[in-house]
Order: sequence, then structure tokens, then C-alpha cells
Amino acid sequence: MTTPPPVLTYAFAVCRPYDGPAPTGLTGLDPGSPVRTLPTGPLTAIVQDVPAADHTEEALRRRLSDRTELERCARAHHEVITAVSSLTATVPLPLATLYRGDERVREALCAKEASFLTALDRLAGRTEWGVKVYAPTGPPAVRETPAVDSGRAYLDRVRNRHQGREQRQNAALQAAERVDAVVRGLAVATRRLRPHGPEATGPQRTHILNAAYLLDTTRTRELRAALTSLRRDEPAIQIELSGPWAPYSFTDTGAAP
Amino acid sequence: MTDTRVDLDPEAMGRDLVALVLTVVELLRQLMERQALRRIDAGGLTDAQIDHIGTTLMHLDRRMTELCDQHGLTLEDLNLDLGPLGTLLPRD
Repeated sequence: MTTPPPVLTYAFAVCRPYDGPAPTGLTGLDPGSPVRTLPTGPLTAIVQDVPAADHTEEALRRRLSDRTELERCARAHHEVITAVSSLTATVPLPLATLYRGDERVREALCAKEASFLTALDRLAGRTEWGVKVYAPTGPPAVRETPAVDSGRAYLDRVRNRHQGREQRQNAALQAAERVDAVVRGLAVATRRLRPHGPEATGPQRTHILNAAYLLDTTRTRELRAALTSLRRDEPAIQIELSGPWAPYSFTDTGAAP
Repeated sequence: MTDTRVDLDPEAMGRDLVALVLTVVELLRQLMERQALRRIDAGGLTDAQIDHIGTTLMHLDRRMTELCDQHGLTLEDLNLDLGPLGTLLPRD
């Protein structure tokens, strides 16, 4: 095992060389060195030098399992990617993509040149939007003293409760599928992600659709209009739209180092 | 975990244990209700038998409510979050 160099190269994103200034005013992950461009053939990586000591495998594991530090890193990573993708089509790289120096970055870009170029063509003029659908959970199950006095009446009530719950859940899931169908119709690509559990959504609602859509930027107005009418047509569910995002969910280049 | 101190609060521990036991009991109770409904739907039970099953389950439900009240717990307190599998008990 050789001693690691004192400085590693952190790669945020890959784009084509573009006219215009490099993104400025970005701190990135380390205020000690600037976020800069690293041109390599037809591609450009957005990189920053970071102290190797903070980015050994062990140091990284420790820092990324600390919530505050993870949030800081993720925000810094996201800030740089957002800044670059507002200038040109950009393939975001995963959080904590590190190389032992610029030369390794160049090698990686060369090795994946074709797939990066394909991805950049696909992403040009397009942004990612997120749609989340929630079903409100019913009134908290109040365990009222049964107002029934026969065993049969009690069973009927249990049966009604089960059927009511099933119907509500099915109705919400179908409404979510209708939302997906409409937005999918506007998108060039779609990814369904796993819905969040109650630890993220709270007990008042169930997350039933978590989807990302890649849309031509020209369709933004259409998307917002579609969401407005969906919210009107589907009063039983809550629909949240977020974006535009850098295309995090649509960068399938196998680019992970 | 860097903090190796364990705070032993007997009262809180007792409460957690009660909640855990009641969670298991509530799960079994709900399973029994479902199974009872399935048996009735399948047919073959007399009216008297159905009424008997219903009465038993009704008493169990009342007893469960009393136990929860005694320990200051709600049904939501008994629900466990199983992450990607959802929750242990169905939520309305």
C-alpha cells in the first residue's frame, strides 16, 4: 500500500466544454481550493482538490454516517451540480466520487467517453422533475368502546372497517397510477423510486408514488398545468411536484468509479 | 456508537416492555379477527357459532382497549415501522 497523495481530486459532474465563465462563488467541499473545470478531449469534468486525509475510506465512512456532515457534503455536492447544470447539459456524478489526482479523472473520462457523450445528448435541454403522491391516513384509529352488543354485529363492524380500508387504499393507488400516466405522457424517461416510509412522511400520510421524470424544458408549462388539473381531479390524494432538478435519476452511464 | 453509557430508567424500560407485549397481542388479535371472517365467509358455521366467535372477539377488543388505556398507550404507539415492508399493523 503506497501512501496516498496529500490531495485527491473530487469529481462533481461531467459536461461538454462550454463557452462562458466557469461557475464562480462555489465553495464545494473544501473552502481551501477552488471548484474548477478539467477539460479532457470532448468532455469536461467539474472537480476540486480535497485533502486526502479527510477522504480516506475510513474518514469518509465516519463523516458520511454523521447526519450533519452528510447533509453538508450532499448540499455542497448538489450546489455545484445545480450551478453547472444551469449552464449546460450535465451528468451528475455520485456523492463522494474521488480520484487520485487529475490524471485518473482523465483516464476515467476517456474510458467512458462514449457513454458520457450519449448521456449528455440525451440530457441536453431536459431537466428532472419529481412527483410524490401521498394518501392521507384516515382519522386515527380511535378504539371506541364497541357500541354493539351482539357478536355478529361486532363481526360486521370489523368487516366493514377492513373493506373500507381496502377500498380507500385501492382508490388512492389507482389515483397515483393516473397521475403517473399523465406525467409519463409528457416525459421522455421515467423512473419509479421506492416510496418513503413513515419515518420520513410522518404518521398522517402514506407515500404511495415516488417517481422521477425527465422532461424537455419546453414542456415545463404543460407539466405545471397538468399538475393543476390532476390536483383538481384527484382530491383524495396529495400530489407534490419538485424541480427542476439536475438529472440525478437519469445518468445511467455506469460512471461510478 | 461512541457513547457506551447506557441509561437504565426502570420506568421507561417497563413501559417499553408493556408496549412490546401489547403490540404482539394486538397483532395476534387482528390476525384472529381476519381468520374468523375468512372462516365465516367459507361457510359451514352455524349462527350460534358465529355469534359466539364474534362475542369472544368483541370481549378481546374491549380488554385490549382497557389495557391500552391503563398504560396510556394508543394503537399508533403499538405500531412498528418495518421500513420497506410498511407497518406491522395496517394503518387506516
